[in-house]
Amino acid sequence: MPRHRLRILTAVPICDGHDSAIVTINHELARHGVEVVYLGYNCPASAIARAAAQEDVDAIGISSYNGGHVVFFSEVIDRLHKLGADDIRVFGGGGGTITSKDAELMKRRGVDHIFFAGTPLEEIVNRVITSCRQRKNAKRGLRGDRKLARALTEAEYQNRRRHPPSSILHSPCLTIGVAGPGGAGKSTLIDELVQRFLARCARGRVAVLANDPTHPDSGGAILGDRATMIYSQGDRVFMRSMATRGHLGGVAKAATTAIEILRTSGEFDCLFVESVGIGQESDPFRVFGRGPRLVDLAVLVMAPFYGGRLQLQKIAMLNGADFVVLNKCDRSEARSAKTEIAARLEENREGQHLFTTTAARHGDKGVDELFAAIEQRWKRART
Amino acid sequence: MSNLKQIIHAVEKHDGFVRKQIERARTERDFGKSLVKRWRRIKENVEQTETPTGTVLPRLALPQTDEPGEIARYLFGEGLPGEFPFANSIYRQMYVSDAAAQSKTAEEPTRLFAGLGLVEDTNARFHYLAKQQTHARLSTAFDGPTLYGLDSDHEGVLGKVGEGGVAVDTVEDMERLYAGFDFADPHSSVSMTINAPAPIILAMYVAAAKRTFGPRIVPKLRGTIQADVLKEVQAQNEIIFPVEASLRFLTDMVEWTTEHMPRWYPISISGYHIAEAGATPVQQAAFTLSNGFAYVEMFRARGMDVNRFGPRLSFFLDCGLDIEYLVLARVCRKLWAIGMRDVFKADTRAQLFKLHTQTSGRSLIAAEFKNNLTRTSVELLIAYLNATNSCHSNSADEPFTTPSEEYVRLASHAQSILLEETGLFKHMMNVFGGSPGLQILEREVERRILEIFTEIDQLGGVLSAMEQRYQRSQIQQAAHGYEQQINSGKRPIIGLNKYPHAEPLPDVPLARTPLARQKKQAARLQAFKRKHIRKAHDALERLENVSRRGENVFAELLRTVEVCSLGQITACLQRCVGRYRPML
Repeated sequence: MPRHRLRILTAVPICDGHDSAIVTINHELARHGVEVVYLGYNCPASAIARAAAQEDVDAIGISSYNGGHVVFFSEVIDRLHKLGADDIRVFGGGGGTITSKDAELMKRRGVDHIFFAGTPLEEIVNRVITSCRQRKNAKRGLRGDRKLARALTEAEYQNRRRHPPSSILHSPCLTIGVAGPGGAGKSTLIDELVQRFLARCARGRVAVLANDPTHPDSGGAILGDRATMIYSQGDRVFMRSMATRGHLGGVAKAATTAIEILRTSGEFDCLFVESVGIGQESDPFRVFGRGPRLVDLAVLVMAPFYGGRLQLQKIAMLNGADFVVLNKCDRSEARSAKTEIAARLEENREGQHLFTTTAARHGDKGVDELFAAIEQRWKRART
Repeated sequence: MSNLKQIIHAVEKHDGFVRKQIERARTERDFGKSLVKRWRRIKENVEQTETPTGTVLPRLALPQTDEPGEIARYLFGEGLPGEFPFANSIYRQMYVSDAAAQSKTAEEPTRLFAGLGLVEDTNARFHYLAKQQTHARLSTAFDGPTLYGLDSDHEGVLGKVGEGGVAVDTVEDMERLYAGFDFADPHSSVSMTINAPAPIILAMYVAAAKRTFGPRIVPKLRGTIQADVLKEVQAQNEIIFPVEASLRFLTDMVEWTTEHMPRWYPISISGYHIAEAGATPVQQAAFTLSNGFAYVEMFRARGMDVNRFGPRLSFFLDCGLDIEYLVLARVCRKLWAIGMRDVFKADTRAQLFKLHTQTSGRSLIAAEFKNNLTRTSVELLIAYLNATNSCHSNSADEPFTTPSEEYVRLASHAQSILLEETGLFKHMMNVFGGSPGLQILEREVERRILEIFTEIDQLGGVLSAMEQRYQRSQIQQAAHGYEQQINSGKRPIIGLNKYPHAEPLPDVPLARTPLARQKKQAARLQAFKRKHIRKAHDALERLENVSRRGENVFAELLRTVEVCSLGQITACLQRCVGRYRPML
């Protein structure tokens, strides 16, 4: 299968907060058309390897400034092997902290290349891209999350859309679509819901499919949801960041197939699909009957600053969403926003639920209530 | 009106007041005359000193003028050393340190930052450094896991234990770290560079001191802990609890130390990491000062008296090679004093901007690294021209490693050469202060700092601006600009983009902690945990209850640390308040 879009995961190691170099490199890679999955700073090797496998990336770039790099890079490589992901290339850099002797040792242990201080940005990016174009193969074939991840990658390259299953409401995997304007707090809300799921259920796994826009000029993207989703990190969570690759409407073109693959894998109890930041007309989950519905439960997340009562009339999803969440309720504007949105939903007479949350606050009661309502749907779906 | 807006007004009002005094001095004969009289008396009272080559000089350099307007400009606008608004210095005398001037209370300004390996390694380094100091001034760097509140046996941290700083997991580690130093000595001090877990680490320190010296040592403990949460969110990314909870734990700690440890500096409001992350000098000053004022507001909201905690606030700035650094501390002292006096109604002791400076780490590069000795020396000169109260000079090998002994010694000697060997500081204060260049620079820097204050105010103050990622994006933008300037050659870096000299990376001796030593630390920690397994459970439960009830967590931590490790405590508090969610 020809794959022309490169996907590269970048991160800063555990106990290291030096993110300034990697942030610059992220932008440069994206400018060159790469889809960058950014994991953030203070990332354990286990999280990096897990994310790389789930995201089916071509390479990992690690920027390490706090020492301990020889051990850290080795651990990343060991874990990639264990996950059947030893075809993923590993690059690194760390200003002057990684010496040439260290670099030699690290290369012997499987690191592709270490960039030293003073290497021009252009050279770093070109070298990474050129190496990634020469694809390696995993030694022992794909398995587990990586296999699932590869199926999602293939879906991204298929032109024909597979038909979504007809019996969506009776699948054991509850699919929750979360849409809303950019900055409303979708990722934080999903993360808090995942955390509650993990705490509540001793077993079972959750999947997250996070859509982010592709840059219209470069074709690259910075997919940063993982960096802020602090609780969606363990082995019980499968997360995939998906760039829209020019497809408009709120989710990637491949999302339909991706959702089907994830739902029918039998791996997950619940799947969250996060849309890109949406506008007034968007219907990312096809809740208005134009084609089969993508999700069991459509959630619209709004922040209190939507610009006035009249604006609310124009937001299509306010009609189509099963649950509407007014997030960021710690802001003073939230009071009137709640009244206005409640009135708007009242007009619909669809029995839509309105939740008020401050997802960024630890243990928020509003998120608890939302989770309880989702849990009820989940139980209903199972019986 | 927000505090920052009030501060901008107060500064404008003060500048207006100075202009008025200049005007009065020139137009009102009696006032002018009285100023001239006072000026003569001041000059007469300045001590004389003689240089080794026989030149007789006044200790304090004052503008050579008898014009009443200029006298007013100096006395009201800059203030004599030790006088409001303290532009020249917060104390009457600084550095002038020949035998006669060296009183018993004079502080040596040299501080050397150290921390490597296990506690016994750092302890040995401290004893080595202390041999070069009259009084022990122990400045402690912690390793990554400690800075993030993790134990040395936490999954995935092997390799990081004892790297870049010392590993501290328990109160027993803390005892070993400072073993052999007398905390009762009124001239020795300890400083700890740690932020997010600062309350836990300080609790360990107090508990360790009590174990060695008995409970009566507590009010005598002298030193500083960085504990600056705001700059962590804005620049350094070492934060483990949500901002609100971090600030609450910090306030608990400051409340407790203000009451029980009157000689302790419980927070060092830091621009250093803001500048290292890429901020311009003006941004560094503006963010640091506004953070400082935000803390004052926060502590007052807790009901604390500004005149009690105010004198225990201190500051930490970066000093690099940009020209703005020549006046940065002068402007900061002035703005802080005006804000504290006129907006927070603080008395003189709480108006003093007590400053520790460190030379710029970012200015040091790996290529031809011995040039870093020169860079650091120039930065040191600038820092002392700014009348910093204490200073750390970086080692030339820092781009590669935790400094090796050789370069630590050279860095320390650079300060001695500047202060003791050269005649620049020891005879006369303010050799350059008041020059036309400095005055112009000061005015511009002040104006640009106030512009940033206005922006922060318009975003709703420091905390609200921070939630909107204002400081972060400003810093990142500046960092990006700096890189572009290096790439385009607009910012020459000798040996890098100018006069490069192809040489292989140098083979400097690296200070690294072997894995076996790292495992030893983990084993020691596990023994501690096993020993206290029963008591730890109860202690953490108590801590959790205290935190949930909203009582002073620091007071409880003093008990918790007796039987629990850093990582156990962090995990317990994270269960109560959640974890920090990074801002991108």
